[in-house]
Order: sequence, then structure tokens, then C-alpha cells
Amino acid sequence: MNAFVETAMLVVGFLLIIAGCYGLIRTYHLLKIVIGVEVAMKAVTMFIVLAGFINGKAALAQTFVITVIVIEVVVAVVAVGIAINLYNNYGSMDVRNLKKLKG
Amino acid sequence: MQVIEYSAVLFFAVPLAILLINILFPKQLAEKFSIYLAGIAAITQIAASAAGFLLLSAYRLHEYEFSFWDMTNAGSVRFGVNTFSLVILFCIGLVSLASILVANRTVDKKRAGYVNLLMMLMLGMNGMVMVTDLFSLYVFLEIVGIASFVLIAMFKSDTGLEGAFKYLVMSILASIMILTGLSFIFMQTGSLQYAHVVGMNLLEGQSSPQLMLIYAAMTLMIAGFGIKTGAVPFHSWLPDAHQSANTAVSVLLSGIVIKVAGIYGFIVLTGLFSKLPAVNMALAIMGTVSIIIGALFALRQNHFKRIVAYSSVSQMGYILLGLSAGSILGLLGAVVHVFNHATFKSTLFTNAAAVHEQTGTYDIDEMGGLEKKMPVTGFSSLAAFMSTAGIPPFAGFWSKLLIIMALWDSGFQLFAAIALFASIFTAVYFLRLQKKVFFGKLLSKFAGLTEIGGSIKFAQIMLTVVTIATGLFFPFALLYLKGIGIL
Amino acid sequence: MEAVVYICLGLMFIFGVLAVMFRSILKSAIALAVASAMLGIIMYVLGSVWAAIFEISVCSGLITVIFISAISLSNTDKQDLAKLYEDKERMAFLPTVLIISGVTLLLVVTSPAFSLPAAVPVAEAADTLRETLWIHRQVDIWGQAMVIITGALTVVALFKERE
Repeated sequence: MNAFVETAMLVVGFLLIIAGCYGLIRTYHLLKIVIGVEVAMKAVTMFIVLAGFINGKAALAQTFVITVIVIEVVVAVVAVGIAINLYNNYGSMDVRNLKKLKG
Repeated sequence: MQVIEYSAVLFFAVPLAILLINILFPKQLAEKFSIYLAGIAAITQIAASAAGFLLLSAYRLHEYEFSFWDMTNAGSVRFGVNTFSLVILFCIGLVSLASILVANRTVDKKRAGYVNLLMMLMLGMNGMVMVTDLFSLYVFLEIVGIASFVLIAMFKSDTGLEGAFKYLVMSILASIMILTGLSFIFMQTGSLQYAHVVGMNLLEGQSSPQLMLIYAAMTLMIAGFGIKTGAVPFHSWLPDAHQSANTAVSVLLSGIVIKVAGIYGFIVLTGLFSKLPAVNMALAIMGTVSIIIGALFALRQNHFKRIVAYSSVSQMGYILLGLSAGSILGLLGAVVHVFNHATFKSTLFTNAAAVHEQTGTYDIDEMGGLEKKMPVTGFSSLAAFMSTAGIPPFAGFWSKLLIIMALWDSGFQLFAAIALFASIFTAVYFLRLQKKVFFGKLLSKFAGLTEIGGSIKFAQIMLTVVTIATGLFFPFALLYLKGIGIL
Repeated sequence: MEAVVYICLGLMFIFGVLAVMFRSILKSAIALAVASAMLGIIMYVLGSVWAAIFEISVCSGLITVIFISAISLSNTDKQDLAKLYEDKERMAFLPTVLIISGVTLLLVVTSPAFSLPAAVPVAEAADTLRETLWIHRQVDIWGQAMVIITGALTVVALFKERE
């Protein structure tokens, strides 16, 4: 494979991060924020695999990816847990409820 | 050397053991006694780090490495402690102890849950300070993050959940940035161990096109750790999270978590990439902006904890400035300021807890003249704020002096002048706090007020003694450091 | 093999953007799972077999389960709720943003000032993953165990019913 594939992966990864962050900033839904974050995390995982592919340390990159995936799941559980607790308190998943802390 | 080995393993073994005991015991017993077990863990950590520090300097070693199984393999990642990281480990123990003492009063329900998560937080922070690999640093950073979110959210108040969610979102953004930066560095070096990354010498022998990736990685990692530190312009989550958490948790967050999760990352970065002047410049600018903006925001607040939280933003700026000097003097100033900030910020949050326990409010407009009724709280608050403002002979004076000297030596005279000048802001917002809460006329509704007792009083006295003693004996500490060859 | 990477990359991008743009959370979660599966295939083609298995089973499977249980717990996937969140208007500019940043990125990567390091062929024995994971990266294994314990404590702290 030539360097073209790798560059394409880099560009697509950055675009996915931008899409995820855009969704995270613009949405009003708590779970959609978590989904935006997950989309960006997909791109990051791809970067690590790409890095391992380029420098020839595929095994090391695989261990990194496995660790990142475990962390990603736990973070998703925490985020969803907090979102559900907010839902229990407010009765909706609207970000616009979160206005108590200001100044 | 055996003793060092044991003390190094203790940093992991003790919190894990307490966690196990806590889970295995029946619930009622755990709710009752877990807080004492946690106290034992914190005291053990303080003792182990102090013993490790003295031993390392007695042997004139600067680091000691260990791992859990199979040390023989040359390429394997291992844990290591050095003199600076032992100071931070000591701070972790001290702030955890302060937090536990406060929690004894402020945490009524879910004590066992609080202690469990505190143990994980301590494990994560100890791990972050002791790893010798950038990726492992990230793994432990996430443990610290997750434990902090849950500690803020676990009491399920509206504000707590809101603060936790804001912190969580910003923190995940930070980890995305840090991981992207790490993968770009990994692409170039093929390894992320500190020794290998330094040895690779990323700048030399690279064709200039590939520099773009390294600079992108640096930008992303500085922004990521900037979010974790709460430095301006990434500070938006910090006052919310620190205000909304239970005060025992605020002590932890402001006292140590932002420093280990953020500042320690910067310590590693400046150590690894000292040859990139852009990194130092970025830190210097971020630090200066944080000092000024944090202090200005602190002036406008009326919530006791929010003022103290914005003060953290401002003080983190000083530590960043110290690191930006790029010299051993600057690093020393930064680490000493980490220690000082840990003590005086814990004192201030402990005082916030004391005031809230006795008056039932955090709003400084509703207070006044509390000094007559709460002399210990008033005095410890005064000592903490004199130290924050850098008034000699309090501890904060010495660390700020070291930082400004280091900046001056490294040619950042302008930043040194700004840092000196901005100390006035610190004095102004704390004078305002002190005047509104403790000085002036006592309101009639507080006529029956009494001084706080029990564990919070103990924490106040302990932390104030540490602050004052550090200030008085600091010249001797400097001489000792010179004697063992660090300076 | 290159063609597979290109196709999966394209599909992953499309489904990733769709996950952000869909109005229904359920559809978003499923699009995320598809994007994740595509990433798994890319990993497999690039030689990271074990990571691919993890990606497909855990990220594409478990995270979707988490999201779907969250949706059913909070009962938010009704169409009238989707209107409340104004997702359509809020997301309208995403394609424009993506096109602008895509063109910028293409200009950057095609400029002579940018180049990726040349790929190095992999020369490792079959069982290096085990060795790397358990011996070279023992600190990470330790960290993973901690993360999982913290996750368990989280579930206890956040999901237990109120007394």
C-alpha cells in the first residue's frame, strides 16, 4: 500500500473528530453529546492503528487500542449514568436544564 | 534499598487493600468504619513518601524503578519514583487526609462509596506520578478522571450532576486531544517510554515536513493537559465542578487532582520536549493569562467555594510559569508551589466546609464578623490567604520567589514582572473574601454561632501548621536540597 | 486489499457523520455501531487482528447495548421529543463545516510542507502480541484492571436505586 491510503485515513480521522465535536457542541440532547464523543474516539482509535501500521510496531499499537477500548467503554458507562441521573432529576435529557451553576 | 522497594509498592498496595476490606465487610460496618480505614491509607502514604524521599536523598539517588512481575525484560514498562514525584506523592497523601477529615463531617450517606472512590482516585494519581511511559500516563489519567466524575456526581444533587457532566465532557475532549497527540508521537518514535522519546530526539535528523506532525501533537497535548489543569482559556468547567461537589471532594479536586492530572502532565512534557522553545512559550502565555483572568473572575463571585476555585485557576498559572522557565530552578519552584497550593487550598476549602456547617450558607454576602465566633477558622483562613498572596514569611512567598527568579534567569523578564504584579490581584480578592466573611460587624442572626469542632478543626490546625512551618523553615529546606545535589 | 480499506473508510465516515446528524437517538446509536464495525474491518486489514475483534465486539456491541438501555431507561426516543431538541436546525451547518475543513485538510496534506513517515514493514513473530501485552505493557494491564474496578464502583454509585 502506498502513502495515499495513510493520508486518506488521517484526513478522514480529522473530519470525524470535527464532526463529533460539532455534534457535541450543537446538540441539546445529553445522550447525543456522548455519541458525538464516541464518534471522535473512533477516529482516535484509528490514528493509533495507523501509527502502529506506519512505524511497524503493530503489536504495541494493538495493546494500546485494546486498552483504549476498555477505557472508552467505562467512560461511556459513566457518561450515560450521569445523563440518566440528570434525567431522573429533571424529567428530560435537555442540556438547557443545566443552568444552575453560573457566575 | 529494600525499604525503598517496600515503600514504593505501598503506594498501590495500601489503597487496594482498603478497597478490598471495604467491599468484603458488611454494609453497615463499612459505612461506619471505612472513613477510619481511609485515614490509615492517607497516613501510610504520607509516611511512605516521606521515608522514600529521605532514603533516596540519603543514597544520593534521584530515581528508583520497579515493576510487578518480570523485571528482566529490557523493553518492558515499569514504575519509577524520583525525588520530585515523591514530593507530589506526599501532597496526594496530605490532601487525601484533609479530605477524609472534612468528609467525616460533610458526608453523611454513602460514606463507603466515597471511600472506595477516594481509594481509586489515590491509586490513579499515584500511578500517574509513578509511570515511566506516556501511554500509561494516559491510562492512569483516565482513572483519575473517572473517579473524580463519580465523586462529584455520586450524591445526585442537581448541581453535582451538572458539574460532573460538564467536567466529563471537557475531560473526554482533553483525552481525545492527548491521545491524538500521543499517536502522532508514537508514529515517529515507535515507543512512548520517556527514556525512548527523549533518546529519539524528535527534532534532529527529521526532515522538516514531519515537524508539522510533531508540532500538531504538541499543540494537542498542551491543549489537553490545559483542560485538565483548568488553565484559561480551558477553565470553564473548573469553577462549576469544584463548586458543585461535596466540599470534601472539592478539597481533593482543587487541592490535588488538577495538579496531578494537569500540571504533572506538563512536567512530563517539558521534560521530554525541552528542546522545543515553542512549548515553553505556550506555557508561559497560558500561565500569564490564567493568573490574570482567574484573579479577575474571582473578584466578581459571591460563592465562597467559587472564589476559591477561581483562585485555583490563577495559582495554576504560577505553576505553569515556573515550568515554562525550563530550568531545574523553575521545576523546583513549580513543585514547591504544587505543595504549597495543596496545603493552602485544602485549608480554604476546609474553611468553606466549616463555615457552611455552622452557618448553612456559602454566600459571602450573608456572612460577616464570623472571626469573633470562629477564631480558628478566621486565623487559618488568614494564614492561607497570606500564603496564597505570597506575603513573606509564609510558604507561598518562597515558591513564587523561586518561580520569578527562574523566569528572570531564563529571559522571560516580562512574564516575571507580570507574575509579580498579579500577586496584588490575589491579595485583593482574598482581602474581599476575608473582609466580607470574617471581619466587620457580627450579624445578629449569628449570635449563637459556635466554632466548628472535631475533625474539621483538626484539619484546619494541621494544615495551618504545615503552611506556617513550611514558610519558616523553607530556607533550611533549600540548603538541604543544595546539599543533596538537586539544585 | 486497498479497495477494502477505501470502502470501509468511506462507510465509516458516512455512518459517523450520520450518527451525529440523525434526529433519533436509536438510529444514532446504530449508526455509531456500524461506523465502529467498519473501523474493525480496517483494523483487520491493516493487521491488527486482536484489536479488530475487541473493536467489533466491545465498541460496536457493548456500547450500543449501553446506549439502547439508556434510551429505554429514559424513554426519550419519541418523535415529539426529537422536535424539542431542534436537532435538524442545530445540525444544518455540519455538511458545510465538514466540506470547508475537508478542503483545508486536503490543502494541508497535499502541500510540500507535509509528509507522513514512510511505512516500515512489520517483522514480528506471531505470538508477540501476548508478550507485548503481558510483559512489556504490564503497567497498562494493571491500569486496565483499575479502570474496570472503577467502572464497577461507578455502576454501584450511580445506578443504585434511591433509598
